[in-house]
Amino acid sequence: MKKSIFFFGMLVSLFSSCTKEIDIDLNSSNPQLVIEGVVTDETGPYTVKLSKTINFSDDNNYPPVTGAFVMISDLTAGIADTLDEVLPGLYQTTALVGTEQHTYQLTVIAENKTYTARSTMPSKINLDSLRFNPLALPGVNDALAVIPMFTDPLQLGDNYRFVLTVNGEKDDSYILGNDNVANGEPNQRPLISRSIAIASGDTVSVNMRCLDLSTYTYFFTLSQIAGNGPGGGTTPSNPPSNITGENVLGYFAAFTTQTRTQIAP
Amino acid sequence: MKKVIFTSLVFLLGLSNIMAQQKYTISGTIRDKKNGETMIGVTIYPQELTSIGTSCNAYGFYSLTLPEGSYHIIYTYFGYQPDTLTVQLNTNIKSDRYLSETSIVTSTVVISDTKEDDNLTNTNIGAEKLDIKEINKIPVIFGEKDILKTIQLLPGVKSAGEGNSGFFVRGGSADQNLILLDEAPVYNASHLLGFFSTFNSDALKDVVIIKGNSPAQYGGRLSSVLDVKMKEGNNQRYNVTGGVGLISSRLSIEGPIQKEKSSFILSGRRTYADVFLKATEDFKDNSLYFYDFNAKANYAINDRNRVFLSGYFGRDKLGFGDNFGIDWGNKTGTLRWNSIINPKIFSNTSILYSDYSYNIKVNSGGSVFNVNSEIKDWNLKQEFHFYPNSKNAIRFGFNTIYHNVIPGRFSGEEEETKNVGRYSWDNAVFVNNTMTISDRFNLDYGLRFSSFSILGGDTYNIYENGTLVDSLVLAEGKIGKTYYNIEPRLQFSYMLNAKSSIKGGYARNTQHLHLLSNSTSANPTDQWIGNTYNIKPEIADQMSIGYFRNFKENTYQFSIETYYKNMQNQVDYKDGADINTAPDIESELLYGIGRAYGVEFLIKKSTGKFTGWIGYTLSKTERKIDGINNNEWYNAKQDRTHDLSLVGMYELTSRWSLSALFVYNTGNAVTFPSGKYTIDGNTTFYYTERNGYRMPAYHRLDFGATYTKPHKRKYESSWNFSLYNVYGRENAYSITFANSESDPTKTVATQTSLFRWVPSITYNFKF
Repeated sequence: MKKSIFFFGMLVSLFSSCTKEIDIDLNSSNPQLVIEGVVTDETGPYTVKLSKTINFSDDNNYPPVTGAFVMISDLTAGIADTLDEVLPGLYQTTALVGTEQHTYQLTVIAENKTYTARSTMPSKINLDSLRFNPLALPGVNDALAVIPMFTDPLQLGDNYRFVLTVNGEKDDSYILGNDNVANGEPNQRPLISRSIAIASGDTVSVNMRCLDLSTYTYFFTLSQIAGNGPGGGTTPSNPPSNITGENVLGYFAAFTTQTRTQIAP
Repeated sequence: MKKVIFTSLVFLLGLSNIMAQQKYTISGTIRDKKNGETMIGVTIYPQELTSIGTSCNAYGFYSLTLPEGSYHIIYTYFGYQPDTLTVQLNTNIKSDRYLSETSIVTSTVVISDTKEDDNLTNTNIGAEKLDIKEINKIPVIFGEKDILKTIQLLPGVKSAGEGNSGFFVRGGSADQNLILLDEAPVYNASHLLGFFSTFNSDALKDVVIIKGNSPAQYGGRLSSVLDVKMKEGNNQRYNVTGGVGLISSRLSIEGPIQKEKSSFILSGRRTYADVFLKATEDFKDNSLYFYDFNAKANYAINDRNRVFLSGYFGRDKLGFGDNFGIDWGNKTGTLRWNSIINPKIFSNTSILYSDYSYNIKVNSGGSVFNVNSEIKDWNLKQEFHFYPNSKNAIRFGFNTIYHNVIPGRFSGEEEETKNVGRYSWDNAVFVNNTMTISDRFNLDYGLRFSSFSILGGDTYNIYENGTLVDSLVLAEGKIGKTYYNIEPRLQFSYMLNAKSSIKGGYARNTQHLHLLSNSTSANPTDQWIGNTYNIKPEIADQMSIGYFRNFKENTYQFSIETYYKNMQNQVDYKDGADINTAPDIESELLYGIGRAYGVEFLIKKSTGKFTGWIGYTLSKTERKIDGINNNEWYNAKQDRTHDLSLVGMYELTSRWSLSALFVYNTGNAVTFPSGKYTIDGNTTFYYTERNGYRMPAYHRLDFGATYTKPHKRKYESSWNFSLYNVYGRENAYSITFANSESDPTKTVATQTSLFRWVPSITYNFKF
């Protein structure tokens, strides 16, 4: 036994890596408008958040953009809803009802500039239940992986995003899926989070969202950039936005949403 | 009809005999006396006519045609005692020569030979030959000597980073290097995610790197050719060579099949990190190892014909229990036939096989997902070396390759549909002449005509500005589009005086297979893809010129070379590309151009107790891809302004030799954030420019020492000690940005570095 510890110690020293915080001189950038607009199939109100980018060295207080004109139109139904600013930078719908297969258009006029975006809410796919499987990771025993049980429809082009919550703690990783593989089949892929582990007895919630392609691409790009750790990741870039206008970041998305909560066995 | 051809052939041959009436040819094969290995690049010249000379080819064959007379023919090669043949030349003479190595003692005293200035007269610009014996002395990480790590110490060749055996030549990307092992291409030259190269240096004989200005017989990659030749095996007696290191061991056996006529070599290597893993409780289900195996045999049919069979097989395995596993590796095979058709014509025929594949397996609670990818080549190569007179050496031939590329796609367990991939046919004809114009001026010129045909059996989509415009079902056996390219090659050397020369060259290279990589480091799972209707052949034009000077009776060699390279049809992924599951990977690609230029300095000392070199490169490498960085020029990842290497080796006593190595380079060009915002409650970074930032500069010092034990009869052994990263520099491997864990209102940059002080011991033996 001692021998194995010795060898293992040697191996670790051979492959060991060390991390430390460093000071790095990053450029400052001109503030950009950030739009985060969402319409779901749940009961409203739906919100649009407007804020600005800040420099890397600043504290994480993102200045809200106030006094903007914000409107969401249901192009399928021919209804327009002008949003009220309920908190600085937070705008809320008054009457709009999110409906599957409807196309929505967002219009924002802020600081004398106009921004528009469109998104179509896909049909809802039912999340039947959650299943738990053992997950063997190096050095971790008794970890579990959660599999959302649903059946992908026959038609190609379904996109999903899953938001995992374990014991009330929301996972900050982006978990995306589509039907390029196993189209029309019951899902078997587990949700692999890079920051949250599941153990027996945990309360696990999975929120499943059916997205259109532009929203999927947006979050997929974020998920790729997030992998920029040791071993290399994708060269980072700003995710492609569906919002047209000058100097703007963010997205406008219409999606369905459904949550299942179970206790891990 | 047959008769007519026959008579005219006889007539032609007769004519050439008449024309060469007063000239005769000395030809033969040159070998190392100690082990019977054929030698490469030995200089042969008559003492009486020093302006005339030749050198033997890669298979040891030489042919020198001289007017009738009596001569002292000198055979010289660095580190070997010159050999002299005294002849009365009045008929064609065949003379096989055996050269003996000079012992260390004599090499420090005398070597002053007129042909020691080969580096000035030959036309090779941007080419470096590595001495395997020299490689053994340079300190390396884990004590595992490695040719790929050593070539990265040459100017113009840049390391892809720590834990990465990929390399960049003159601004090219890692896939733009043609890596040949006994003429067979090696598609992934790294083991263990890049910590080691696939080459076991015990099995190697010769390594040459050509940085872009390659002669016409080479083609298919833009940046460089790394031509690695395996040993043939000792044909005098049996030898066992081996080494035991901290994480791997090697063993080679070589010996005669028929004494002095044919021989074999078998060489194997395996790491044993996994043995330790198995011994631990937490990691016992994990695996992490590689092995490789080289084998070669040659057989002399008669003194004019010889056949060779060589093979390489290597595999890496990495696994976490039953949940996740990845394995990858190369297989290559070469069947070669060398034939001396007549004293002036040498023929080399090769049938080559090359295969690279990887397999990723993910098992989750009974459901299995696979990603498989493979690239397979069958290759026929015919080359003739023709020495019509003492002024010209002509090479001509053809090369035809049948590629099968199976791209890596994610597939579920249920989808057992076999992915057959795409087929293509790659052809080239070439002719090249190395010509002595005067005793000052040498010229090497050639032409390569290449074609690449898309073969049927798959559906090809055609995109215009990123949108699908057409889909083409190409039936099996049909030839789709064919791309043709003409690649001129030219090099010259001009002696300014006895000590200095100017060399220059121009070459066009094309590349039909492209490695798609969207990560910041090389992965075994990066995919190869052939030309399609959208992906056009990559083209590079390189011009270079250099000044070469030797000092102190050729003890010191100095060179300065400058190059400019222009690249067309470069391929990259678009932002946010889905590389694993997109139904057609071509929908995720973007195209553009590139340029690279720089100056390379090299000072080298190859004789005496103290040897080594200083290499320095000042360079710039840029890309311009439609759809990236607002279509503006940006620094390529491998753009490093300064790159410096110092290598020193010192023979302290006959038993102890010391070595030291220092490298310094500007950090890679990388993309860092210039701002931040919030999305979905998460801090998200705002990027303004592709590769607009720099990693911190990389530098490192290594020491090595070798103790050679006195021979005990036939048993030779040595201990090799090395210390990697002597002053423990924490070189940045990656820098990541995230919210601070201690203060979530702040964001911080975190640097990860891999190795500080890696000591190693290796025991080498031979009997």
